Amino acid sequence: MLTYVLRRLTFSIPVVVGIMIVTFTLARAIPGDPCLAVLGERATPEICESFFRRNGLDQPAPVQLLIYMRNFAQGDLGDSMRFHRPVMQLLVERLPTTVELGCFALLFAISVGVPIGVLSAYRHKSALDVGTMIGANIGVSMPVFWLGLMLAYLFAVLLKDSPLALPPSGRLTPGANPQPFFELWGWVVEGQEPAGILVFFSRINTLNALLTLNSELLVDALRHLILPAVAVGTIPLAIIARMSRSSVLEVLSQDYVRTARAKGLRERNVVGKHALRNAMLPVITVIGLNFGLVISGAVLTETIFSLTGVGRTLVDSITSRDYTLVQGFTVVIAAGFVLINMVVDIMYGYLDPRIRFN
Amino acid sequence: MNAKPAELEQASHVRSANLWLEALYNLRHSPSALLGMVIIGALVIIAIAAPVFATHDPIKTMIGVPGETGRLPSKPPCIPLLGCEEPQHILGLDLNARDLYSRVIYGTRTSLSVGVITISLSIVVGTALGITAGYVGGRVDNVIMRLMDVVMAFPALLLAISIVTILGPGLTNALLGITITFIPQYARLSRASVLSIKEQEFVVAEQALGASPWRIVLAHILPNAITPIIVQGTLGVGTAILDAAALSFLGLGAQPPTPEWGQILSESRNYLFTSPHLVFFPGIAIMITVLGFNLLGDGMRDALDPRLNRN
Repeated sequence: MLTYVLRRLTFSIPVVVGIMIVTFTLARAIPGDPCLAVLGERATPEICESFFRRNGLDQPAPVQLLIYMRNFAQGDLGDSMRFHRPVMQLLVERLPTTVELGCFALLFAISVGVPIGVLSAYRHKSALDVGTMIGANIGVSMPVFWLGLMLAYLFAVLLKDSPLALPPSGRLTPGANPQPFFELWGWVVEGQEPAGILVFFSRINTLNALLTLNSELLVDALRHLILPAVAVGTIPLAIIARMSRSSVLEVLSQDYVRTARAKGLRERNVVGKHALRNAMLPVITVIGLNFGLVISGAVLTETIFSLTGVGRTLVDSITSRDYTLVQGFTVVIAAGFVLINMVVDIMYGYLDPRIRFN
Repeated sequence: MNAKPAELEQASHVRSANLWLEALYNLRHSPSALLGMVIIGALVIIAIAAPVFATHDPIKTMIGVPGETGRLPSKPPCIPLLGCEEPQHILGLDLNARDLYSRVIYGTRTSLSVGVITISLSIVVGTALGITAGYVGGRVDNVIMRLMDVVMAFPALLLAISIVTILGPGLTNALLGITITFIPQYARLSRASVLSIKEQEFVVAEQALGASPWRIVLAHILPNAITPIIVQGTLGVGTAILDAAALSFLGLGAQPPTPEWGQILSESRNYLFTSPHLVFFPGIAIMITVLGFNLLGDGMRDALDPRLNRN
């Protein structure tokens, strides 16, 4: 198993290097002068020269790339040209929004999609099955941004005065200022700069609320999360439901399931222990493949629900030619994507030992 | 000696003709594929005959036009379909006092062509790359497929956004950006088919008889590799339409006043709370179109997959 993990890890390194080269090239290919884009009217030739020197843009491109890779390996993504702050810091502040949204979207997709898929396979050709498949087909065909807007209209306008009303924007009620768990626990003295990793976790509102036992904050954060998470999670849900259904259908017709039934096992054991475990392999792959969809969905959904996550920041930075930020965020997102796919592969190898030896 | 390959070829043609006939038969008996075909057929007719179906010029502002009230959606929406008495506009007017119904009708043209062109381009490029990689093998294979890995490592929409930013916003560039994100799928599919076919006896025999690589690729490998590509392509059209709409929604695709569904949505999203119909109808149009391609793609997968033979 260890050799398999190591082998998968080595395979990912060239891909990550490739991602860095592509991102670097793409960021440099964005038309327009970054000095002009960042400094605007203040951009005189002298100021631009010092701006280029300060940001390392006066070096030849290959040198810039090497410096960038060295710094990246040390966790330094450079300073954002627009915000005048380290990109790493911005990432620590904004990634939690996207991670939280993505996790809840996937959680929604898996916890609804898998049971629905399994049930409709089990009740093949029943009304439930037909309904699920129609629903799943419609689900994959909806544009994420449209669904987001429609949900916002339904829950924030039409149901405004009902108990089902949900907020259409932001992560918390305006004015809410939750205390980070590390402050409450006395890990960080006031005035001292907390470690990035602590800030990262404290900004995942639901996690922070759980750690600080703040139920009011938890409810508020969840209420704000529901609409965007449902919007992002709907397409993955439909895909997961379809995959679970066809996978379970295939497994249920196998000989070993018939054997299990023939030897008098209870139906719960036949489905739960024999069929599901094997049927889940392709489902896990599909869940892994859906991370890309979740990230794309997050870019659009963050725009609609005014969430300051990495997706929205990235799109804004592309238009304002903030090279360093675009580079840093894109590399981190793509590398995260590679990492997730690797974890999926490893899980696959764990669940199906045959794969490890090929 | 000479007659044998010809006979073989004839036999394989008969078999492949049967395969397609059988697939067509299966397609006709699959309700989802039929529904998909009906939806796509209707949309194609609407797109071709858009001037017939549209009641107004899609980019003409109705302010100051005789007989028009010029009612803007900042006032309560007035949709004749929902019982409001304003006979000349079926879905009401948009923010620039243009006829929304006509804009949605003309939008069919844009979205259908974007979807079909994107997928056709990426199938051609992807299949060429995949077949080259699989057939030549070795270093060429390695370089091509690692490049495809890198392209696939980016979330599709993100890559498309970056490409369009570099090329500049616009429908053509959005189309190119989306095409690039789709290429790896077809490269992988066709490479996998090539690898499994290239070692088979009939191909080795043909090589021994001195057939050129071109002949082997065109006469044997391509026909055998094409089925999964067609299925994937049909499903891909839907995704491409969604991606194009998303790019337009972010202001990177079709530019105003072009009637494109994503662009109409983008224009009216800030008026969601006062005139939701402006957001509702273009979204429904996108959904129905994508649904059509997904249903047909699913049906084709079932029809063309010999493992699911209904007999």
